[in-house]
Amino acid sequence: MITEDVGTFSDTVEEAASVEACTKCTACNTVCPVARSTEIFRGPKFLGPESERYRSQPEATVTAGLDLCSGCKLCEVTCPSQVTIQEYIRRAQNKGAEEKGRTLRDWVLGHTRVLSQFGSMTAPLANIGNRNPVVRWVMERVLGIHHKRPLPAYQWMTFERWFKRHRAQAPTPTVSNASMALKRRSRGPTGPPREPGREKRTVAYFSACWVNFNERRLGEMVVHVLERNGIAVTVPKQQCCGIPAVVNSNMDLARKYGKENLRSLSALPPDVDIVASSTSCGLMLKHDYDHLLDIPGAAAIGARVYDICEYLWMLHEAGELKQDFEPVQTRVLYHAPCHLKSHGIGYPAMRLLRLIPGVVVEEVDEGCCGISGTYGVKVEKYDLSMKIGSRLFEAVKAAGSDSVLADCETCRMQVEHGSGARSAHPLEILARAYGYR
Amino acid sequence: MKADIAVVGSGLAALVATRTLQQAGRNAVLIWPGLSSLYFTYATVDVLGYADDTTVQPVEQPEAGVAQLIADHPEHPYAIAGLDALRGGTALLTEWLGEAGFKWQGSLARNLLLPTAIGTPKPCCLVPDSMAAGDLRRDEPIVFCGFSGYEDFVPELAASNLARAWGRGDQTVRALRLALPGFEPGRLFTSIDLARSFENEAFRRDVATGLRAVLDDGTVRIGMPAVLGLTHDSDVHAQFENEIGHPVFEIPTLPPSVLGLRLFDRLRKHIQESGVEIIWAAPAHAAEVSDGRCRRIHLKSAGRELPIDARAYVLALEDTVDGAMRAGVHDVIDPFFHQTLAHHAVPTERTNESLFKPQPFASIGYPVTDRLQPGGEDGRPLAENVFVAGGAIAGYDPVGTKSRGGLAVATGYRAAKEAMAA
Repeated sequence: MITEDVGTFSDTVEEAASVEACTKCTACNTVCPVARSTEIFRGPKFLGPESERYRSQPEATVTAGLDLCSGCKLCEVTCPSQVTIQEYIRRAQNKGAEEKGRTLRDWVLGHTRVLSQFGSMTAPLANIGNRNPVVRWVMERVLGIHHKRPLPAYQWMTFERWFKRHRAQAPTPTVSNASMALKRRSRGPTGPPREPGREKRTVAYFSACWVNFNERRLGEMVVHVLERNGIAVTVPKQQCCGIPAVVNSNMDLARKYGKENLRSLSALPPDVDIVASSTSCGLMLKHDYDHLLDIPGAAAIGARVYDICEYLWMLHEAGELKQDFEPVQTRVLYHAPCHLKSHGIGYPAMRLLRLIPGVVVEEVDEGCCGISGTYGVKVEKYDLSMKIGSRLFEAVKAAGSDSVLADCETCRMQVEHGSGARSAHPLEILARAYGYR
Repeated sequence: MKADIAVVGSGLAALVATRTLQQAGRNAVLIWPGLSSLYFTYATVDVLGYADDTTVQPVEQPEAGVAQLIADHPEHPYAIAGLDALRGGTALLTEWLGEAGFKWQGSLARNLLLPTAIGTPKPCCLVPDSMAAGDLRRDEPIVFCGFSGYEDFVPELAASNLARAWGRGDQTVRALRLALPGFEPGRLFTSIDLARSFENEAFRRDVATGLRAVLDDGTVRIGMPAVLGLTHDSDVHAQFENEIGHPVFEIPTLPPSVLGLRLFDRLRKHIQESGVEIIWAAPAHAAEVSDGRCRRIHLKSAGRELPIDARAYVLALEDTVDGAMRAGVHDVIDPFFHQTLAHHAVPTERTNESLFKPQPFASIGYPVTDRLQPGGEDGRPLAENVFVAGGAIAGYDPVGTKSRGGLAVATGYRAAKEAMAA
């Protein structure tokens, strides 16, 4: 039983400190992907609520083992008493780093946006460097980034620049060959062209660093799908969401980023919905700015943030999603990212894809992929991260599928690296059904 | 989000209800506040172990026992759900276990009598194959095998307790302890760690060799804590038995229960892979009712509320562990309609000081109508299209009568049937 505020002082104790709601049931330890894969990790129960009872602000934090937590949040998803296990671990980790000082790698991995900006500016060169064994050897020695971990390729043309050009283009819709073909087969119209100023809804797209510097194509697809449904898209000024800083023990930096984003998003008209295509960045905006980072005003913005598939499904239920899909004959696997489970919205991507004729989508339910953002990049965690994901890789190989869908970009990197299959965002299939090529 | 029928809960009642809906071709969505009560409370599915919580003589025929209970207590949740629901639900569950890859045995006709971790005989109805060799109606001598450093199962305690209740003729009991490779003194571990290790063939062979060395050649069966594999239980158990050369039976231990985890994980995976969507990590906290029908329930998802609009709802929460109720100092309140389910001048009224006496809090729950709808003070349904299943139903204590599983199955099945008709 969980105490809720029913009016007396003692009833609010557990809500104020959810550590008191922990019943020591150990469910979190049983689902923890790290504890499953290494016996040196004590598990979320011990490092979260149990250790929390012994932590106090003036005392030095005992950080042994805290850095092994990958931040997947499955412990919180699992907890029957809604204890914020992961937040206790993160705060303690951060305090430990403040006391002991941060490493160079903490700084570098916490500033992925700065790295990406640099990588994008020097794009072809940076990508060659990232694949060069000598450079990788140096990176491993100096930064502690494992030489086997493929690093994402940067693109010179950022999404934001593409979007500016896209906006500047004449508002005439681009009718692709595929939809022309569709018309010839007289399957009905492919939907109205883009009519600026006449859209019923406006969406602010939080494209995040990944789409901006590494996978512009995904951003183009998001814009295509939204505009195809008569929605006006804007791309507000944005900063890194802050999650790389959170998981690399720099919550002050994450808070600074969060405040910048909130300043920009607060300037949007109140009827503009905010949409994100990165699972973890969306979760930061929705939940962690308010709960973990305690940024004032975050709750009001968080309530306006949607995952892209969640948003599209909402349109579908409101009867606003165009159903003139071109059939896509494909059989794909779907991997649900851990952070998607934390959203508490189910699996809207699977629901959406099942609307499209020809698509057969099956869930591969083997838990965490193991990469957890920058976790699996680190030299001492690479092997562990591959071990965590091994069940998923085996299942993908056993299913004989060469295509795995996942909403989260680092899950996609890990699935490709571990299983050899190609991995894409679920939107890719939807965009294809809407004639995007 | 729209749904045909929404099932809230993650225990056995919720899973049986969802499976019933799925088999009828209905589109169910399963909503979880957190992990399942299966983790904590289930190893076997017990239909009726004792006629009431004061009797000492176990029930031999659970179906006949439930029929008698229904005749004696027309207000009991078994009576409301009906004997047909128990039969139908049990048949559905048994078939499902087979499809999901489990090897289980037992029937409503007869209970097995299995030793617990403290050596007391416990009547059980449906049990995993890996437990069945422990049946105390069989006469072979028992050796309880524990492990050094593992305190959730004390073989000496189990042996001395069982010897008192069971010990005629061939029925001898003894205890031994093995040291396990890799589990040196000082290492902190749980049954989950042991179960993972037993999936490793080399580890298992080492343990088997160690165990064979201390056993005589005579007929004997080995009782071990339930740690024979976390996911591949039946294989691990069969292989271990082969390596030992004696029948081996598993005994459920304290949470985290490996048996509960196996059951829950595989049923969940099976139902999810067959197309049922699960919404994780979204506790439900309010219901909107108008004109006598529930129009939507509200879930706490990240950042905002997620309303679920369904035609009907099954509230299959399993009391305390699933967050079915909110207990304050004086009142216990339900999370949907915010009704006061129980009022106490002081919280200690909810508990009995003796741990082994019936606990008043166990029978707190929703009063229900004859169709399992949650009832208001006037006895009329709070909402026509909402049905309650499992431990959240008021008026029974599943612990003392060993009936939690059967009630979850019967009420989950019946609630699903009612939801389809609503």
